[in-house]
Amino acid sequence: MNEIRKTGGGWKIVVWAVVIVALVWTFFPFYWMLSTALKPDLDIYKVPPDLWPKNLTFDNVRKLFWEDSLIPRFFLNSLISSVATVIVTVGLATFSGYALSRLRFRFRQKLLIGILVTQMFPMVVLLIPLYILYLKAHLLNTWVGLVLAFTSFALPFGVWMIKGFIDTVPVEMEEAAMIDGCSRVGALFKVVLPMIVPGVAATAIFAFLDAWNNLLFPLTLVNELEMKTLPPGMILSFMGQFRADWGGMMATSFLTTLPIVILFVLLQRYLVAGLTAGAVKG
Amino acid sequence: MRAGKSTVECPRVRLGGGFSLPLHAVLLAPTLIVLALVILYPIVSSAALGFFNYDLTNPRGQGFAGVDNFTRLANDANFWRALKNTLVFSLSSVAFGLVFGLAGALALNNLAERHGWLRGVLLLPWVIPTVVVGYLFLFIFDVDAGLASYLLMRLGIIDRSLPWLMRGDLAMAACIIANVWNQTPFYILMFAAGLKTIPQDIREATVEMGASRWQEFRHVTLPFLWGLIVITSLLMIIRNFNNFPIVYTMTGGGPAYETTTFVIYIYRLAFDSFKLGYAGAVGFIWCIVLAILAALYVRALTKES
Repeated sequence: MNEIRKTGGGWKIVVWAVVIVALVWTFFPFYWMLSTALKPDLDIYKVPPDLWPKNLTFDNVRKLFWEDSLIPRFFLNSLISSVATVIVTVGLATFSGYALSRLRFRFRQKLLIGILVTQMFPMVVLLIPLYILYLKAHLLNTWVGLVLAFTSFALPFGVWMIKGFIDTVPVEMEEAAMIDGCSRVGALFKVVLPMIVPGVAATAIFAFLDAWNNLLFPLTLVNELEMKTLPPGMILSFMGQFRADWGGMMATSFLTTLPIVILFVLLQRYLVAGLTAGAVKG
Repeated sequence: MRAGKSTVECPRVRLGGGFSLPLHAVLLAPTLIVLALVILYPIVSSAALGFFNYDLTNPRGQGFAGVDNFTRLANDANFWRALKNTLVFSLSSVAFGLVFGLAGALALNNLAERHGWLRGVLLLPWVIPTVVVGYLFLFIFDVDAGLASYLLMRLGIIDRSLPWLMRGDLAMAACIIANVWNQTPFYILMFAAGLKTIPQDIREATVEMGASRWQEFRHVTLPFLWGLIVITSLLMIIRNFNNFPIVYTMTGGGPAYETTTFVIYIYRLAFDSFKLGYAGAVGFIWCIVLAILAALYVRALTKES
């Protein structure tokens, strides 16, 4: 890219060596997950292991969808709660982001920092009082309760993200719309929102990842098996067995990773923009 | 801050019956209510819990405890062990992440623009569920079927399969390796973005002056990235101080207490032994540590921008 130095052959080899090591280190575990999921149980324990599965089987994958398997149920629960978290987070973050970017009021800056800092406390510490609170408010084992908890951890990032994007939209455009008879909220939806699609997309992706990947909230705030999401569901399905069912575990891991990979392939550029925005732009 | 000049100072929303509220309050209310309910109230309430005897297995002994829980902490060997484990786990994860991340970012920065997609695909380990990361490495470090022991045996480093997750030092190492695999992409991404902000003319001048690659790295690249390195390290120390799923899925804190970090200890105290008051006290101490780190992070962030 930046051809400032004449890149000698030796240096190029070093650079590519680092890149190739990074690629192998990154992708080999994924390959190992998938190939183990497709091996029969006996082959998984083979020494030396088959780096390439010799006897391909879909048994491990098929088992996940057997009648008594709860994995499809967990998958559905994860999907429902994650999508709901995305909707609530994007909605709330858009309103707050707009207020923090466009309106002037006391403690605005302090509030912005305060919202950021809430993200930095350990979930575990919150859980005890939250459990008691949910118990009293009848929010245990409810979608509302779970989505509320997920949202609280996705919101700070979303608020900052959307605020940052609205900052870059010229105020004059909104004012023009408002002179033309648009209300302030109308201008937000008709003028601002279409211009901050990448910010909304990044917020949505991170809200989805937060909810999909969260272990602690569904582990503790939901105790009905039928309502667990995939991360605690995986733990319940595979922990404490006499002999580990690696094939089943890797097949479930693959199933859990798949939606993320799809999301990742489709929306990668928003994801990269979102991840770097916070720290680099400041 | 450019948006400031021409915005309406303080628009209000008219409600029925002559009442009105400032617009910013209406827009911010839902967010603040959610954060207050799920984060703020529990933090305060958990700190208060630390001053009570609230042991669910001992209903008669409940009541105000003053600082008893905190004095008990000082003599609790597991508390100190958890502190040590948390520091070992977090600091080595961050150290490896920084070094690998910087090396990766520098390598990617030296590639032609058409290889830019590599930066994207290398992110994958960072976005998958941490529980999956835990299980994947649980399998890789398994004593019977694990690949780690097999590869080390092939390389002649060990002569028989190691019970990775059943030996304290090895279990900690396994958790750190899994964690570094999970997090390195984030450092690469951060530093790759940071490297792009180094002005081209400064680099050109450095090269013209005859600086070697090492000198350029030492006197131009590193000083330029320094702010970002500090911010990223602080952020990741905070995240790893709060990191629960990796250790929970791989070792559950065992063997014995060898990999029990603070968050695992608090979880065990509260949800396995139901000592809610004592768990609250440990949590309170931990929140103070994190608040200090968060303050440092915010300061570094505002200084940088």
